[in-house]
Amino acid sequence: MNHLEVENILQKAAEMKVFCEYGQRTIPVLDEIAAFISEISPAIEELKAVLEVAMVNIPKAANQLTRVTEATEQATTQILNTLDKMVVKLEDLITAVSTSTKSKDLDNLINKMSALVKALVDKSGWDNDVVQLAETWDSMAKSLKAAGIADLEYILKNLQDDCTEIMMALQVQDITQQHIGTVMGTIQSVAEELQRITKGFFGEPMKKEAVINLDLPPNPELVSEQERKKMVDELLNKARSGQI
Amino acid sequence: MNTMKILIVDDSVTLRRILINALKSIGYTDVVEAANGKEALEKLSSNNIDFLITDWNMPEMNGIELVKEIRANPSYSSLPVLMITVHGSEQDVIEALKAKVNSYIVKPFTPQELKDKIEAVLKTVQVNSP
Repeated sequence: MNHLEVENILQKAAEMKVFCEYGQRTIPVLDEIAAFISEISPAIEELKAVLEVAMVNIPKAANQLTRVTEATEQATTQILNTLDKMVVKLEDLITAVSTSTKSKDLDNLINKMSALVKALVDKSGWDNDVVQLAETWDSMAKSLKAAGIADLEYILKNLQDDCTEIMMALQVQDITQQHIGTVMGTIQSVAEELQRITKGFFGEPMKKEAVINLDLPPNPELVSEQERKKMVDELLNKARSGQI
Repeated sequence: MNTMKILIVDDSVTLRRILINALKSIGYTDVVEAANGKEALEKLSSNNIDFLITDWNMPEMNGIELVKEIRANPSYSSLPVLMITVHGSEQDVIEALKAKVNSYIVKPFTPQELKDKIEAVLKTVQVNSP
């Protein structure tokens, strides 16, 4: 055995030593990994069971939201139908009032009174005081007729405006529907992502119900209505002035 | 009463009814309806439309796609367009402006707000017309 061979053996022995030392350090780690895997196996099974339930329940929840949306839309339609009828009736009333149909009684009374005043003027032989009284009455009668009809018309038109205001408030149904749509979109994305992950993790896709198919606004804003409108107007102004 | 013929485009029947009533209350009674972008294009070709009010989210063809189609057609390139939507972010407004909508109104709106927007658009169109 020459010098080189001895050196070679010594080097191999040193490598073996390093390997053994490394192995001594690695074996406990591998033991720990094995223990960890055996510990988490039930957890993985549990997770799989939870995900399976989720894959069924998520679409169910989304379908329930769809039903809520449909119900609110039905209710909104019914309210709109009633408001439409009210507006038509109010229009008829306003027309009737403006053509004095509804104020006929008042008109009759005023006309009867005017006839009496005229008769009084004639009978008085156009006495100055009676003529003056007749003139005052004429003026009052005109005001009375105008005031009565105008007030009624004003009230009816206000009622019509109230109906329009209620209709405008019903926009909330559409806004809610679109926001629910966004939530459903998020739920659908989560369901799809879970499907993808579980397919890779467990090797087979899990049960999944029908896909929810909606057109969704991408990003509902959590800012106030006035803030949004102000921001939109500012942007429009910038666009008009060529800033954007 | 205003004689301007307005085409409203929205997939929601409820919203179309609300819009028709709002327009009526501010004096616009000549209104044509469409449920989506494709139907709107058909209505545009068969009616003399003076003003277009469109929603953003619609099936088949959304509001932005509709406006892009309209602007690409020389017959309607100068048609005043007001977009009504729940989208109120800066990015959304810029996207709508890039598609060349004349103005933008965020739901919920009042008849007065709608009137102001329509009048503002009409003024802009008059100023810009040759």
